[in-house]
Amino acid sequence: MPGMRDVEIRSRSTELLIMCIVFMLSLPVITGYALIILSSFSRDMVTNLDPSAFKPTLTNWILLFHGRTALFAGIRVNIWGIVFNTLIVALGISLLVTITGALTGYAISRMNFHGRKHIMALLILLHAFPGSVLVVGVAFIYRLFMPSYTYVVYYSFFFVILARAAIEIPMATWLMKGFFDMIPWEIEWSAIVDGASRIRVWWKILLPLIKPGLAAVMLFGFLAGWMDLIYVRTFLAEPTLAVFIEYNVHAEYAYLPLVAAAGTLYLLPTILFFLFAQKLIFTISVSGIKG
Amino acid sequence: MVGIKLNKIFFHRLFNNLVEFFRSDASRFLFPALFLVLVFYIIPVIISVYLSFTPLKNWNIDRYAGEIIGFENYYKFFYMLTHDPSVKAVFLTTIVFVALTLTVNVLGGLGLAIATYFMSEKAAGGTQLIWLLPRMTPIAVYSMIWYYFFHPSSIGTLNSILLHLGLIDKPIDFGQGIIPWGAWAIIVFVNGLVGVSYGMIVFTSAISNIPKELVIAARVDGASNWEITRRILIPLLKWHIIYVTTWQLLSLITTYDHLFLLVKWGLVNRDYGTTWSLYIYNTAFQLGETDQGLAAAAGVILVLVSSGLGLLTLKLMGFEKMIKPPRGDI
Amino acid sequence: MVVVRLDRVTKIFKGGVVGVKDISLTIKHGEFMALLGPSGSGKSTTLYLIAGIYKPTSGRIYFDDRDVTNLPPKDRNVGLVFQNWALYPHMKVYENIAFPLRLKKLPEEEIKRRVLDVARMLQIDKLLDRYPWQLSGGQQQRVAIARALVKEPDVLLLDEPLSNLDAILRISVRAELKRLQKKLGITTIYVTHDQAEALAMADRIALINEGRIVQVGTPEEVYNRPATVFVGGFLGNPPMNFLEAEVEDLDKEIFLVIGKYRIRAPERYWSIIRRLKTKRVIIGFRPEDTSIKPESLDTICLPGRVYGIEPLGRENIVVIEIGGELVKIISGRRISLTLDQMVWICPVMEKIILFDPATGKALDRLVVEEKIRAI
Repeated sequence: MPGMRDVEIRSRSTELLIMCIVFMLSLPVITGYALIILSSFSRDMVTNLDPSAFKPTLTNWILLFHGRTALFAGIRVNIWGIVFNTLIVALGISLLVTITGALTGYAISRMNFHGRKHIMALLILLHAFPGSVLVVGVAFIYRLFMPSYTYVVYYSFFFVILARAAIEIPMATWLMKGFFDMIPWEIEWSAIVDGASRIRVWWKILLPLIKPGLAAVMLFGFLAGWMDLIYVRTFLAEPTLAVFIEYNVHAEYAYLPLVAAAGTLYLLPTILFFLFAQKLIFTISVSGIKG
Repeated sequence: MVGIKLNKIFFHRLFNNLVEFFRSDASRFLFPALFLVLVFYIIPVIISVYLSFTPLKNWNIDRYAGEIIGFENYYKFFYMLTHDPSVKAVFLTTIVFVALTLTVNVLGGLGLAIATYFMSEKAAGGTQLIWLLPRMTPIAVYSMIWYYFFHPSSIGTLNSILLHLGLIDKPIDFGQGIIPWGAWAIIVFVNGLVGVSYGMIVFTSAISNIPKELVIAARVDGASNWEITRRILIPLLKWHIIYVTTWQLLSLITTYDHLFLLVKWGLVNRDYGTTWSLYIYNTAFQLGETDQGLAAAAGVILVLVSSGLGLLTLKLMGFEKMIKPPRGDI
Repeated sequence: MVVVRLDRVTKIFKGGVVGVKDISLTIKHGEFMALLGPSGSGKSTTLYLIAGIYKPTSGRIYFDDRDVTNLPPKDRNVGLVFQNWALYPHMKVYENIAFPLRLKKLPEEEIKRRVLDVARMLQIDKLLDRYPWQLSGGQQQRVAIARALVKEPDVLLLDEPLSNLDAILRISVRAELKRLQKKLGITTIYVTHDQAEALAMADRIALINEGRIVQVGTPEEVYNRPATVFVGGFLGNPPMNFLEAEVEDLDKEIFLVIGKYRIRAPERYWSIIRRLKTKRVIIGFRPEDTSIKPESLDTICLPGRVYGIEPLGRENIVVIEIGGELVKIISGRRISLTLDQMVWICPVMEKIILFDPATGKALDRLVVEEKIRAI
């Protein structure tokens, strides 16, 4: 019975009923997302579900793409600078998480060493650790090593990337361990018998075999950095999209459809991943993210 | 004497183990991760614990960080817990939020996993994607979506629906006007949607591991969807349900980022929209006069609660089984 | 108890994979029918079509005169036993057996009576309080059969129920299952890839290959008169030997030429060969219907070289090379052959079957088909 889940001859009506119920339950989510995206193409917000409020326009997006009209805390700022900041953080975290995850995941999957058990337990316990408590101590370190004024911006980027990546290490390690576990031992043994070192085996033989795993961790790290709010708002000297939205949504001076457009722009990677990398989305979800 | 000797043996062994570890190949692989974890995880935790014994305020490190005041922050926190209505509200909110969201998460995840099981594969995939969306959405956008959905004016989606249906004549301020249940309903809803997908994914993969012959045999014997759910799927998912429950419990106790903006934007009441975890963050960073000592003390207590639950989760995950050593001796 | 009839049933899976093609088969009332074929041949697909798990792409399925093609499995009243038995791991044996009855919402005393009856019949009444994982393979298999029988089905469907048992147990369960089936008189369809199992148990065997029924008949018929090379090669252990030969018609006699040697064709085939104007044939002969002789005494013997000897205790299998082809011959317990010795092998003339190399079909079948076409 290849790929079969249930008998083929059964009542379609109950299946339809179930689908209807699930669809009704999903409706708030669909509506919420649709209204924000629609608002970004309208002169007024359409969140009141009033069709007459929908005055189609591309002005919001044009303003956004011109990049000089976005307001941040009452000051005109370049939205592309903000997007760039967000991207730097996300890419930095993605890279760091992928490298460390691939290293640690391999060690835990394949090597027997003193303290292996403790490190694995630690990784799970860390994941359960209250982030708000952590951030107090991290802020202390942040202030302790604060450089002179000219370097603060670079320092803050560097710090946010390292600190935020550290939080994702447990998950990335588990994710990578799962991928390494799937590779037959014999492949590695034969390379070691031929005289390759562990690092060489890891780099030359295993990494090429777990490209899907690397892609999953990269995506996972990117999304984590891209969506982060707390670390960037607490430590980063420059605003990201998250901070931009934080300060503009309830500000009286803000032109809300423009904020909706910024939000849609911020949502774009998520949407793209959903359209083109569904398999990866499921993979990284199975490994469990906090929430 | 004995104590000192035991200590000596302990440190000697610890030292030997560490030397062994650093000599091993594995340490080279683990070094980058361990460095990051040490600097940005373990040391901050130690600092947080230390700060809970200092009177640190407004991040005035030079002035306060060197001063030790014993358990004063803890006394203060317990005093506030019993006397300050705001902190009392936070405590109550935490309990209600965790209990309700947990129920929504576990039952919702189970319901979705089972519902998608009985759907055609295409519909199931689509449903799963929709319900994964909240988890994958940038927190600020996600909060913005629900900010407009529950907005207290007629621009809010829910208000405008109720107005159109004629159920109300003027917009309701759900998060600030109906206290505490309006605020609670919003935070449970918003966080519940994020958490549901975790249970959904775990249960879906667990169901797909159940031999399909079990379900088909039951079908041949005349079982309906409901009977298959009740008599076969749920009993076989027993352990997964327990696991998801504890894991989500842990996550909910420590989560705060999805609530932060809802409180900051004033969508929900500050007291009845704030959980313990968010209270710690706001006390340390947000309120007019920030009090890191008090925040750290409240944090240490939360750590004690969550690490107890964390250990329990390890047990339930069958941790011993998971760490079976790798094959071979290399 | 019913007659099961498949009328030109075809099942094509998503992606165009053909499960079964144009299958017509009637399983008689109370009959034990084995569906035999290699893995992937479509025999399990046929069983699942009968159970209602699969929906046929075309064709009809009847239970007696009732058209059940679109009936969901629960309304067909069939008992089904899977290869892995599909016992519910979270239920005790009693609950496992009682499950179909509970779904029918029968009263508790009735359930208890019927479970105990069937458990006693299968001698598992002492195990009712255990969980499946506490049972041996043989016991689990009995529980699965009990669960299929407890609802008093019209048709019993068994999907390789013995393949998860070890070899010795399998043989003892074989006899028991057949006895039980005869006692209950229940129409039974049994899927297996083990030809010995099918031969030992079934009233009739339907051989399936590549989604089509190749031959249906009693074990005796399909063994002794295989309709195709496939059937001859699938049944028997070791299976039938095949040698390709040229036909040489000398008017008075017909000879079959294998390399440098030639043997006389069996007389009953003469008219057939002439009628079909056959030029080449495949000679099929069973290992046990062949003898090894030190010298040629007959016109039917072929010379060969001893390639290997496999002693099996009760008998010996002698592998002999004839003109580059290997054939297997079963010889008696005592044997005085050495490797590379030259011998003569002599198939029993009456047991030889000739096949058409192009279609793989037996020549007498081709004649019958031609006659049918002529009508």
